[in-house]
Parts: sequence; C-alpha cells; structure tokens
Amino acid sequence: MIVRFWGVRGATAVPTATHLRYGGNTCCVAVTGADGELIVLDAGTGFCQLSDALLAGPFGRGEGQLTVLLSQTHWDHLLGFPFAAIVHRPGNRLVVYGPGHADRHIEQIYGMMLAPEYSPFFELSNMGATHEFHEPGPTPFAVGALTITARPIPCAEGYSWGYRVSSGRAAVAYISDARYPGCRPTPEALELACGADLLIHGASTTLAEQQGEQEPCSVEEALALALAADARRLMLSHHAPERSDEAIDALLAYYRARLAEQKHCLTLDAAAEDLVLVL
Amino acid sequence: MQARIWGARGSYPVARADVMAFGGNTSAVEIRVGETTILLDAGTGLRGIGQELCGDAGRNLGRLHLFISHTHWDHITGLPFFVPLRDARTRLQIYGLRRARISLRQTLAEAMSDPLLPFNLSGVQAELRFHELEDSAEIDVDGVATVRAVRVNHPYRALGYRVESEGGTLAYVPDTGPFHTVLFGDDYVAWDGKACGLAEQRQLALMRAGLLRLVAGADWLIYDTQFTDEEYRARPHWGHSTPAQALEIAGEARARQLLLFHHDPHRTDAQVVALLEQHRPLAALYGVGIEAACEGMALTKRAAA
Repeated sequence: MIVRFWGVRGATAVPTATHLRYGGNTCCVAVTGADGELIVLDAGTGFCQLSDALLAGPFGRGEGQLTVLLSQTHWDHLLGFPFAAIVHRPGNRLVVYGPGHADRHIEQIYGMMLAPEYSPFFELSNMGATHEFHEPGPTPFAVGALTITARPIPCAEGYSWGYRVSSGRAAVAYISDARYPGCRPTPEALELACGADLLIHGASTTLAEQQGEQEPCSVEEALALALAADARRLMLSHHAPERSDEAIDALLAYYRARLAEQKHCLTLDAAAEDLVLVL
Repeated sequence: MQARIWGARGSYPVARADVMAFGGNTSAVEIRVGETTILLDAGTGLRGIGQELCGDAGRNLGRLHLFISHTHWDHITGLPFFVPLRDARTRLQIYGLRRARISLRQTLAEAMSDPLLPFNLSGVQAELRFHELEDSAEIDVDGVATVRAVRVNHPYRALGYRVESEGGTLAYVPDTGPFHTVLFGDDYVAWDGKACGLAEQRQLALMRAGLLRLVAGADWLIYDTQFTDEEYRARPHWGHSTPAQALEIAGEARARQLLLFHHDPHRTDAQVVALLEQHRPLAALYGVGIEAACEGMALTKRAAA
C-alpha cells in the first residue's frame, strides 16, 4: 500500500511561500493498493494536483477508475472535485462515498456545488466522467484487494466520517475532523485506528488554542487516539491556514519532546504534500 | 487611487512552488481611494486583504465596498475568511448581478452554510448591505469614486466593472469569452464546433460595444487571459479569453495598460512570462502597455505610462 499526500491544509488553500514546505493545498490523500486500486481520501484542491498527475496513466485515456472517500462536505474537502481534469474526461469512473445532510443525499450536495451560480458546469451530467454516489454505512466494503471501513466521528459541526483502508498486511486510518470530549476517543475512532500502521488525523489547533466547542480538532485529541489505539505512526494533518512551515516545525518538536519524556514509542510527524509512504 | 492585486489565478487556488511569482490565490483586487476601500471579487486573495485591513488601525472599516463579478467558486471562497466580517466596526456593501432565480445575499449565504461550510452570513458582527445590479448600472461610492458595471460573455453571465476616481481609472473584466463564437447566457452551452447564429452574433456585438465603452481610455485593464490560442480553440465554450483577444479589446478601447489576469491553474511562472513576452510585439502595434498581474503588484498612475 502506498500513501501519498496531495493536500494537507484545512479550511482554505494557502498559496504562500512560507507554507509551501508542508503545503498549501486543501485535503487530499491518495492510497494505492498492490493491484493498482486507487482510493482518494477527500477532494480539496489537492485533488486537482493529483488529477493532473493521473492524466499520464489510464485516466488520460478515459480508462481510469478511482474511489473517493469524503470525510465531510465542507469546501476544503470537496471543492477540488469539479475542477480536476480527470472528471471531465469521458470514460473515467468515480465511485464516491460521502455523507448526506438532513434530507439531502451526497449526490444532491455535489449537484448544489455545480449549480450555475457557483460553477460553469451547471450539473453532474456535464462532467464527462461517470460518477456513482454512496453514503457510507456500517458494513465494510472492498475495493480490489483493499477493505474499507467507515465510521461516524463526532466533530464540532455534528459528525464527520473516518475511514480505515486495509490491505490485510497494512492499515491506514484517516480522520480529518474530530472532537473527543475530555480527550477520550470514541469507540468508533478507536476501532478505525486500532493498531494502524499509519493514523492520519486532523490537528488544526492545540488544546491551549481551542476556544470553545466550535473549534476544530486539537493535536492532543489526535495523540490521545493514536496512543489509545496503539497506532504505530501519527501524521498530523488538516493544518490551520495560519500555521507556517516554521510553526509546524515548532509544534512537532514540542509534542515529540513530550512523547519522549513519557517514553512513548509512537512516531509523530506532520503531513506534507508530496510525501510518499510505503506501508 | 491606489490599487493592489491580491489574487490573479483563475478557476481554483494553486499552492505550488512553480506558480509563486504570479501567485496562486484566486481573484481579489483592492483599490483605496481616500478612506474608502473598493474590493473587486472575493477569491482566496481576499483573506490577505482582510488581515491587512484589520491589522492597520488607520484603515476605515466603515467604508468597504465589494463588487463581485459573478459568484463562481473562485470569486467567492475568500469571503468567509475575510476577518473584517467579525468586526462590529465593519460596514460592507456587497454588489453583484441581479438574478431572477435567487438573490445575491442568498446565493452567498447558501454557498457557505451547511452542508458546505458552517458559516452563518447573517450572524456576522459586520453590517452587510447587498446591492443587486442590472447591466449598465452606475454606482456612486462614498462620493469619491464611480463604479460602472456591464454584462460580459461568461456562462450564466458575469459583470465587468470600471472604477473611476480622481486618481485614475481601472477596468476589471476577470471572466469573459470573446465575442465572435459563443454567446453565453443562463443555459449551459455544449460545444458542437459551430459558431452561433446571426441573432446571437448581433447580441454579442452589442455586448462587445458595451464592454468597449466600459474600458474606454482606462489607465489599467485587468482582463481574463486564462487561455492560450490553442486552449481557446479546444474550449471556446468555457467563457475565457486569450492575451490576443484581450489586446484587441484594450487596443480598440485605447486602454493604456493591459494586465493579463485569471491565469490558468496549470500555467507556471515561466509560462506566464513566455506568454507575456510573446505578446509584447502585438501590444506595441496596438499602442498598449502589457504586463501580467501578480500578487502584491501595486498600480499607481506612474506605472501606467
């Protein structure tokens, strides 16, 4: 299984030189299985960059297929979608899992984004590629030889979806936004991260920075889950737009020192664009 | 009048090392006239304008005017991250095209509320006023500037603006196709390889004439040049122009300087420079100055010579 980061920024893209080492594109991670199965976690602006790279292969010929797992439908997880070149190429097929909202199915939410007020594409039927939409459910499903488990995770605005992608030999867990009251991870979060080789977790704030319940996830919450679930490596992601490369370096150094003091063997890193991990 | 470019990228923001010279933020331009601040579009570049406005005690937050060319994502995604919205001193006038189907306020509010964002536009501390504009509207801005709007040729229609004050005139046309092949309106245009019919050609000619009046004699013309000639031939139904098409408008309207704008997200800095250099001879023939808009670029009267 190969994991590659294409967008690690939360909230809004930050095309600023001081943020480029970690990266300024919004959420997108690609997971490729041994048989070439392609799973994409979130479709922020990083998805457009991934899409350009994919054009060199089957997607460029209209013969590509991928599965997109959306953790939520906020801009930073979804807005790269309609502009990616591969979705305008007939023949490509996208299978999309994402949450609905109230009485709206994920396909309708996506349709809203394409409305003529907001996009030059008007509606899904103008997109070229074939799209198939599903809402995540409790039953694990297979994409090639990879198994995907989806679980609801509480966050500031209700809940997001967390995912676990497993090849049998290795597993990666992805939780972009979560709030665990009292830093006590929920059973669903523990299930996804349990013994994972890699846990990618949102960490836009720190406990000290959080000012109330509407704030996004903290480093402490991500650490609490990684330690409780006995994950091998934690990759902080969904970096706040305000955090420069230097600020992320400092944050990492601080929390690594704390882990060392407490003699934990968890590996702590911060997700960076173009980082490739082989699990 | 002092103008500054904060976002010049088209379609979506791009954070990549090879685009940093011209910048990866989407459309946003700031114009200061005395205590008044006029903002053109609310792309991701707007976030930086907001930070600067709130960081400078000398700026008057009570005189902010935002003119939106159209509400496609790349022209509005900076709005929820514009910090003056969270400041009770802020009085922000928001202007945009009037539509039959949905109000400007609702268009913006729905774009940034559940399930697409948890942002409540009605709950902000700032005082917001919405103004819906018809084609050819003319607005007096705090008695220090005049803004005119005309319809241009883009899917679901868009506006171009002319900002005129004592310190100079800036025309802003971030998204428009040319006026000879495809007429855009409220319906989706699928490209069948054929130029539109005579009735549409006539409408296009009228639209073009309106645009020429908007641009006439402007010190600066910020204009959609997302496409190369080759890209335009492949996608005339996307509603964007080329540098040569922009120069034709600039030359005919006797604008003094053309600023290439709405750079394609794939266009690297080196490619923007190459496009610019390639078009200098044509610009010289038209007698128009030519540059490419980049983030941080300041426009002052002297630079327009």
